[in-house]
Amino acid sequence: MSPVYDKLVDLLVDRFAVDRGTIGPDVTFEELEMDSLFLVELLLVIESEFQVKIGEEAAAPTDTIATVVKVITDEIAATAP
Amino acid sequence: MSATTAAGTGGAVPAARPAAPVAVTGLGLVTAAGIGTEATWDGVCAGVSAAARNPALDGLPVDISCTVPGLDPARHVGRRSVLMHDRFTQLAIVAAREAVADAGLDPRRWDGARVGVVVGCGLGGVSTWEEQHRRMLEGGPGKVSALLVPMLVPNMAAGNLAIDLGATGPNFVTATACSSGATAIGTAAQLLREDACDIVVAGGAEAGISPLMVTGFAQMGALSRRLDEPAAASRPFDAGRDGFVIGEGSGILVLEREADARARGARVRSLLAGYGASADAHHLTAPEPEGRAVLAAVRAALRQADAAPGDIGHVNAHGTSTRLNDAVEAATLRRALGDGAAVTSAKGVLGHTLGAAGAIEAALTVLAVERSLVPPTANLVQLDPDVELDVVAGSPRKASIDAALSTSFGFGGQNAALVFTAA
Repeated sequence: MSPVYDKLVDLLVDRFAVDRGTIGPDVTFEELEMDSLFLVELLLVIESEFQVKIGEEAAAPTDTIATVVKVITDEIAATAP
Repeated sequence: MSATTAAGTGGAVPAARPAAPVAVTGLGLVTAAGIGTEATWDGVCAGVSAAARNPALDGLPVDISCTVPGLDPARHVGRRSVLMHDRFTQLAIVAAREAVADAGLDPRRWDGARVGVVVGCGLGGVSTWEEQHRRMLEGGPGKVSALLVPMLVPNMAAGNLAIDLGATGPNFVTATACSSGATAIGTAAQLLREDACDIVVAGGAEAGISPLMVTGFAQMGALSRRLDEPAAASRPFDAGRDGFVIGEGSGILVLEREADARARGARVRSLLAGYGASADAHHLTAPEPEGRAVLAAVRAALRQADAAPGDIGHVNAHGTSTRLNDAVEAATLRRALGDGAAVTSAKGVLGHTLGAAGAIEAALTVLAVERSLVPPTANLVQLDPDVELDVVAGSPRKASIDAALSTSFGFGGQNAALVFTAA
């Protein structure tokens, strides 16, 4: 899909023990058994791995992977020199 | 319980009445001697200390510990365990699953509302605490995990067992420092006797081998400094003892009313016949030198078990390997029981697992009664001349045991005594 998507998938697999086969752009975090606590944790990891500031309100468990990819992509574009 | 009069007892000993025995139907152990009850029993009977240098403690005043070998949270607990469980919870889950399976119980089929969980824990998730505090100091509050609190609070050992086992009965942690595990088991028996539940998953769990905790114990002077020979450092009742070696682990027992256990055809491994508890009311950490409160706890446990001092054939002592504990404990046991019991301390092999110790040692006491075998006290080369007890050394000793005592004492002067009898 995009380098951001691919990296996010890797983070979900490597850091959050999500089964790679269950991940897709339209899959929600809820469907991946990522509740709000795990999501806050994921957003921390995203900030550190993508070097962006997105805040802990950036996503909810009912959001899809694609939504978060867009948040990250937009933030990278907004802060690009 | 009826009010008791102090007359005739000097007011020192509560007049506990004989109580209906509680059956021990399942055991689970995770210790430095290995994962599983049999691995632990074999290690304790071999009498070889599990203490070793611990690279995670490099540069600290004490760098040895008794660490559980080979625990893989993803494999032993679940794929996300490492994200959401501190190690003390992981140890509890592994031990509890073993105990429940050993009891022949299936959590998918039991009435979870009648299953309680009581786990002793002295510290909680101290490694998580230290790691997250470091992240906050280095990177600011934004680096602190949202899972910090649910990982570190000590009640999570019991809370996670409820989730894992579908147990929705009474659920809590007991914190009486190094007697927490024994307090949990004694309290669990009370829950059964008052019919608050039918099954209690009870024991202790601790994972306190963190740099800050080890340093804290070292600063107190509680830890052995025999750092050049870690395997010889924990030596309960030995004349050359100089402190304990910190350990970690979990011991879990499945308890049921004896009548219920027999009715369902369960294998009754032993009976929990007596429990006594007391407080020194003396000092933050030092035992009261006369052992009065310890004696009261032991006598209360004997009375509840309807046992005479001479009935106790075996004692699994607290025996930490500190100068003070072992001296006061030995004198008190001698006073309470005479010298007829075969005494051992598992801490020579397993180190001191703090809040888990009372439960691990209760499980070992059950096994000693069941198997008519008293494990040796590791590193007991020269018995302290002040210890006037029959302490088993070298190799396990065959002994037919009708009743056995397990003692536990916590900083803060919190004492617990458990009596187990043959099934």
